[in-house]
Amino acid sequence: MHIEAIGCEPLQLRRVHLENSRTLEVYRRNGGYEAIKKVLDSMSPDDVINDVKKSALRGRGGAGFPTGLKWSFVPKDSPKPKYVVCNADESEPGTFKDRYLMERDPHMLIEGMLIAAYALGAKTNYIYTRGEYRYLIDIMDQALAEARAAGLLGEKILGTDFSCEIYTHTGAGAYICGEETALLSSLEGMRGHPRMKPPFPAVSGLYACPTVVNNVETLTAVPDIIKMGGEAYQKLGTEKSGGTKVWSVSGHVNRPGVYELPMGYDDMEKFIMEDCGGIANGRQLKAVIPGGSSVYIMRAEAVIGKDVRMDYEGLVAGGSSVGSGGFIVMDDTVDIFESTKNLTEFYKHESCGWCTPCREGTDWLVKIFKRIDNGGGRADDAQLMLDLCDNIEGKSFCPLGDAAAWPIQSAVKRFPEDFAKHLVGSRKE
Amino acid sequence: MTQDVIKVTINNKDIQVPKGARLIEVCRDSGFDIPSFCYYSDLALQASCRMCLVRIEKMPKLQTSCTITCTDGMVVTTQSEEIEKAQRAMVEFLLANHPLDCPVCDRGGECELQEMAFDWGGLEERFTEKKNYYAERYLSPMVANDPQRCILCKRCTRVCDEWMGEDAIEAGGRGANTVIGTYGGWLDCSQCGNCIEVCPTGTLLDATYRHQARPWELAQTVSTCTYCSDGCQMSLGARGGELMRVVARDRYVNGLNGEFLCIKGRFGHPFVNHEARIRTPMIRYKKGGKLIPATWDDAIRHVASKLDSIANKHGRNSIGIVGSPRLTNEALYLLKKFATDLIGTDNYAVTDSVNLTPFFANLGAPLATHRDIRYAKTIVLIGGEPEELQPLTGKQIRQAVRNGGARLIIFNSVPIRLREQASQFIHIRPGAEEAAVLALAGGATDSLVSRKMGIETAELEKVRGTINETEGDLIIMFDGSLSAAAQSALAQLSYLLRADNRRVLFHPLPLYNNSIGALDMGMTNGAIDVTQMLDAAGRGIRAVCVAGSFLPEQLRGREESLAKLDFLMVQELFETDTTSFADVVLPAASFAEIDGTFTNNDGFVQRVRQSIPPVNQSKADWMITDQLARELGVEFGFGMSASAVFNEIAMQVPGYAGLRYPLLKDESKPVQVKHDIAVQRDISNELETVRTAVEQMDESPEKHNDTPDVGHELFKIRTLTDKVAQFHLLAAGNPRPESLNVSPLYQITLSDDLRAEAVVAGD
Repeated sequence: MHIEAIGCEPLQLRRVHLENSRTLEVYRRNGGYEAIKKVLDSMSPDDVINDVKKSALRGRGGAGFPTGLKWSFVPKDSPKPKYVVCNADESEPGTFKDRYLMERDPHMLIEGMLIAAYALGAKTNYIYTRGEYRYLIDIMDQALAEARAAGLLGEKILGTDFSCEIYTHTGAGAYICGEETALLSSLEGMRGHPRMKPPFPAVSGLYACPTVVNNVETLTAVPDIIKMGGEAYQKLGTEKSGGTKVWSVSGHVNRPGVYELPMGYDDMEKFIMEDCGGIANGRQLKAVIPGGSSVYIMRAEAVIGKDVRMDYEGLVAGGSSVGSGGFIVMDDTVDIFESTKNLTEFYKHESCGWCTPCREGTDWLVKIFKRIDNGGGRADDAQLMLDLCDNIEGKSFCPLGDAAAWPIQSAVKRFPEDFAKHLVGSRKE
Repeated sequence: MTQDVIKVTINNKDIQVPKGARLIEVCRDSGFDIPSFCYYSDLALQASCRMCLVRIEKMPKLQTSCTITCTDGMVVTTQSEEIEKAQRAMVEFLLANHPLDCPVCDRGGECELQEMAFDWGGLEERFTEKKNYYAERYLSPMVANDPQRCILCKRCTRVCDEWMGEDAIEAGGRGANTVIGTYGGWLDCSQCGNCIEVCPTGTLLDATYRHQARPWELAQTVSTCTYCSDGCQMSLGARGGELMRVVARDRYVNGLNGEFLCIKGRFGHPFVNHEARIRTPMIRYKKGGKLIPATWDDAIRHVASKLDSIANKHGRNSIGIVGSPRLTNEALYLLKKFATDLIGTDNYAVTDSVNLTPFFANLGAPLATHRDIRYAKTIVLIGGEPEELQPLTGKQIRQAVRNGGARLIIFNSVPIRLREQASQFIHIRPGAEEAAVLALAGGATDSLVSRKMGIETAELEKVRGTINETEGDLIIMFDGSLSAAAQSALAQLSYLLRADNRRVLFHPLPLYNNSIGALDMGMTNGAIDVTQMLDAAGRGIRAVCVAGSFLPEQLRGREESLAKLDFLMVQELFETDTTSFADVVLPAASFAEIDGTFTNNDGFVQRVRQSIPPVNQSKADWMITDQLARELGVEFGFGMSASAVFNEIAMQVPGYAGLRYPLLKDESKPVQVKHDIAVQRDISNELETVRTAVEQMDESPEKHNDTPDVGHELFKIRTLTDKVAQFHLLAAGNPRPESLNVSPLYQITLSDDLRAEAVVAGD
């Protein structure tokens, strides 16, 4: 796997290549736990929140909500305990950045969480990891034990009055638990169903207390924001999307791997063709899913020569979005009907079943895909699929319904030829 | 109290609504129909069916109106092309995997999904794929389940959790494979069947009624439950003289219980058409002989002549008249009138185990209604176990605590299940309930009371603290464990505990459907009670007429009493221990066969309505009394009209003044009896009596530490529940059958032994 920061100094990827990178010793030797020291020595919780606001850091889990704003929603005068919860339920197909960061640099996450906990007044904090990442729990637990032994976690951290604890918790293998309210339900020991919003977790989250849920990469960005200052961090990226972003690149490129790019990196074609080594086996680029399976699929024609800027605004202008940064490249051997069928099966499998459109819609769509695949395609199936997606989109309880609809809508509309050939008169032998 | 009023605009119509109103309710109240499945008033919001979508200005997507709280100036559209498409889409999705074989589904004809498909569905079915399939199965002897009909509205899991506090059913699996199920595959719960009631489709079904009838064949009659004192309103579904089922579905009935019923109300009705019902009048011509069937005329004539000769020989007071607290007000009133005006005896009584006369004589505040309980701020429960004996009261208490934040204080010698809802559970010694009244009335030192109760004195301070902090309703509930003096003192507590911002209400917990009515009709103020009457049998008492039977606990230790009587007449549905000594047995009609009224523990007078003609040759109890009076030469003049009897009750019983059947017509607006409110008076004598009793209490008894099993009262096999096969399975421990796809009744043989065990276990 290729690891590289391009167009910026490595921040998130600063230590991952080092030997014993997950140890406290290596972390400290390379600037680790300096940020929390700076925070405890000289900053008030409000200073921290303001710095994060200035950094223009946006949530790296997929929704891209401004992190500083999210933190500022937590009521300061609430008598209830407050919680910081790290969302490490990285389940978006094509996404493997959080896993890499936790596996190679767990202390960076711990430090980020400590700073968040300080800023928000949280005493108890959780790292919620997807069930399939069981081995990461051991790595995290070991790092937490090291930090605790070194006085960086628990009572009176670094000799100050600040005390806080971090616990790890695994899910049981449900994609939906990456949705923050479903995550909280699961963390409380209930079925992993999303909850109604409002109330938002910042007001009533874990155990009905004010809670901030942040993605791993969001929290690991925080120590650098503190160290370099919010404005300097923002300037690494664009005005509205500060800092750097970690992309997990998979598919038909010569150098798949984990890449750190500044927000606003120019441009996607260069990234694929040069930074990632171009399309493997000398084939042609056919499609890109730039932000994990839930975003719109892009045609090669929308990438080549189109100067697509890699940040929130740039990708929307290019016809997709940043999502989780799960960058999937497909060459001309890929049948987009097949790849979309695969994704739809994933969403059907992962629909939690709470609401009607997502539960029944994804089930129905999979049945249509299977029927077509078995040679039972009908001329109006593409239109039926679009209509079903329209009936799911915007009507489901949580964003999973939208996430299931978007890949199909974009695939049917942007790759009509791949669908058409499966429909009428194409019975498989 | 003024409530803030705000303005919302719905479909261009300006509407004034109270602040905080829920949009879906506002729309419906304003005449705009909003379809929904998962929304259920007074249950936690679900917002999962996505049927109730509306467009609200300044909001990006369609919004579920069930989750929206109205704000001032909100502009809402409920009807548009966009909304209609979304709603049709949801029905289409729900029908995708739903079998379209309504004609073989028990819910067909009263299915909300069926109706929704007619009203909001598309004409054409676009789903041509194979439907997901799950086998039908049983979840318990009472609950049948057809998982593929489920639309996952989860009303069932919410009523199980929020109403019942049992959490016995929950969804398993995920996505389109989600199936409502049980923990361990077999329902271990109180079998209330409320999950069946609230199910909008044919997913959860009444296993005792399964494939017996179609809803449209049933004549629905709104009536009052014949089991406990809560007086739930129910709809009796009858076909061809047979009572097929009992439901509380809001399409048929809207009583104080909403759609709630307990296992007895819902499933306890098969006794009505049971083959063991007494078929004809019977006469035992000589003691020790057999009961021989007779005509009504012969039987009544026989009774009249016996009563006549015994009265002549031993005096009028040698005749005892006894009524059951299960009878209607009309029957009890007439029985009392028969006893006092016609026979002229002082010896009349009710076969109730509790006599609340001292409480009502001193009543210092009105009775709490079940609605009052739901919105109470503090509830004090002294003794009792409402979740087993008055299940609706139990549900209201749970909801008051869970949904309303009420504080519940329990004094009980048994750690009853309801303690899980209690803010303070005071675990007292058996028999120390009296001391709780003493403590609340300040009639003794805390050290005495707490020593006798076996608790810390701080507990009592905490109780007083909670009461003093209470703003709103304080409701005091108590069962039959209190002595007459304690009842009198308790009834006056309202004067001691009330405050400017605190109302005190009482909620007695008698055991029978018409315990309170029996008291109101004056049947409880005879010269002696039932046990005294039995003890006097063969001496002062020579003849007894019973409408109903003596309770097993009343006959226990008095097995010989009935044999000592010169003459015993019994009006009954079934042969019982009492009828086995009877000289004349007259078949009485059950609640489903008669008109009348019951008075519940709210003091509500509620109608009992005839659903089916009297079974066999049975007659309404009041008509039997009427006929006997006629034979004895007195014409009461009521003809065949129960309402005529009730009119006389309204004239003779002060609390019922002005009432008429037409005024009791609407079960959604029940009418409360005006029980006399006694003025505040000195209760020091009563407190002295209670204190003396408390001082003499034994401090040695051990407290009960085991929480009783669910159903230890509800599943008991008594005369009526004995006639329901499923109750025998439950009383025998609700064994899980080998196959869940076949009714457990076909798989488990109730041997005579098992049956005997069940009776013992339930007793």
